[in-house]
Amino acid sequence: MVVVRLKPLEDILREVSGYGKVFIFGCQLGSARCKNGGLREAYRVAGFLESKGIKVSGVKSPGGTCILERLTSKDVLREAGRNSDVILSLACGAGTQLIAEHVSIPVLTGVSTLFIGVEREGKHFDEYCIACGECVISETGGICPIARCPKSLVNGPCGGAIAGKCEVDPSIPCIWYKIASRMEEIGEIEKLRKTMPPKDHRSCIYPRELNLEGRS
Amino acid sequence: MTLCEKLSKGKFVITAEVAPPRGIDYHKVLSGLKPLKGKVDAFNVTDCQRSMVRMSSLVMSHLLLKEGFEPVLQLTCRDRNRIALQSDLLGAAALGIRNICLMTGDFTTLGDQPDAKPVFDLDSVQLIELASSLNRGCLMNGKEIDARTNFCIGAVFNPFAGPETLQVWKLEKKVKAGARFIQTQPIYDIKLAEEVSELISSTGAYPIIGLLPIKSLKMANFMKKLNPTSVPDSLVEGLERSSDPARYGWEYVVDLAKGIYEFGKGIHFMLVGKVKELANFIDYLRNNGRGNEKN
Repeated sequence: MVVVRLKPLEDILREVSGYGKVFIFGCQLGSARCKNGGLREAYRVAGFLESKGIKVSGVKSPGGTCILERLTSKDVLREAGRNSDVILSLACGAGTQLIAEHVSIPVLTGVSTLFIGVEREGKHFDEYCIACGECVISETGGICPIARCPKSLVNGPCGGAIAGKCEVDPSIPCIWYKIASRMEEIGEIEKLRKTMPPKDHRSCIYPRELNLEGRS
Repeated sequence: MTLCEKLSKGKFVITAEVAPPRGIDYHKVLSGLKPLKGKVDAFNVTDCQRSMVRMSSLVMSHLLLKEGFEPVLQLTCRDRNRIALQSDLLGAAALGIRNICLMTGDFTTLGDQPDAKPVFDLDSVQLIELASSLNRGCLMNGKEIDARTNFCIGAVFNPFAGPETLQVWKLEKKVKAGARFIQTQPIYDIKLAEEVSELISSTGAYPIIGLLPIKSLKMANFMKKLNPTSVPDSLVEGLERSSDPARYGWEYVVDLAKGIYEFGKGIHFMLVGKVKELANFIDYLRNNGRGNEKN
């Protein structure tokens, strides 16, 4: 999922001040799942803004603001555009842009989009993928060193991997320890002797697209 | 005799680290090294170590060469993509810089400009392959250049980092990629120095053991923070007991160096200051060590 972080409410207040009526969008995909921009947080932001004298014209949280069909199906965009002076979106950067493309009033974001990650125990969200466009995890025990090593090293750990910790942030483990034990477990440790070639960065030059036209 | 020739002949080599200035006045650095001229075999010029901005290691290497010191140009993957790395290496070759020491590099956030963009387009193994490719007369993309470079390629190894199997395999990858000498992180234990020398030799590379005199208890604790198992308790106790910890730390490393001279192939002093003592010690080593190593 795409993980986002709600901006401090005071910052949101500062951003929307002076606009008039605010329509608030949440998103029931990543933003809701990581409890930083779903319907619940959208109402929380609405309550806060109203307590500061800001008029909130509506709150909606579609099941995927990055999917045009879901944005347009219930006329939420038209409703938002009609009654309001500004839209505050708690969807990820992608969803917020899709909203902005389909309304003629300003769209502000109330979150920072952080990463593609996983949820553990409902409280912890960890970055697992940077969408680099050239997946190597079949070679590394299903664990991505590109996303989970700050230096994106593919030929083994750096010399800063001390006592299982990452030199960049000792509070996180060096991912190469995990890769080593996983590869040992599945009997593929010898695969790591192979030198991995430099990455072809053309695979991650943005903006990228996926086009299904012509596919049967 | 150049460093490269000494490696070929199996001579015991002594290198020392030089940090370019945090500014533009390089004269002080050069004059400070004078007592070591003709004694230290080559000077390893660091590339913004600990991610702190300093003068370019390429320029500093050139300045050393001009003054008659043999440099080892350090180049990391932190700040340059493959285009810039090849460009700098071609420039180094044109300036007559023969020795290079290639590594991934410290991460950006550890330094004094933590807001910088980290590059890491290549890793150390891939950078060594790149330099080997230049030595064969080709860019990384296979395109031929007008002449072959003639780099003597080095790399680094930290015996305290893990996981051990992968660290050793990475060392092997570096040697396979073309590293001829391997410089280690500071070691404070003679037995470990011998094991690491043997390990590196077994991969086919020339081991150069890193030595860093500890000047104080505070520095010992700092080193322990970087590599908890690297500083033995006996050294810490000695520093605590000593009325002159700086001298104690220096003599400890000197004893270590004498020991390594008996079985090893090279040492690398990662020191700042102590230039005269180092010069005297090298004289002592060359005159009192193994007969076949006297230069």
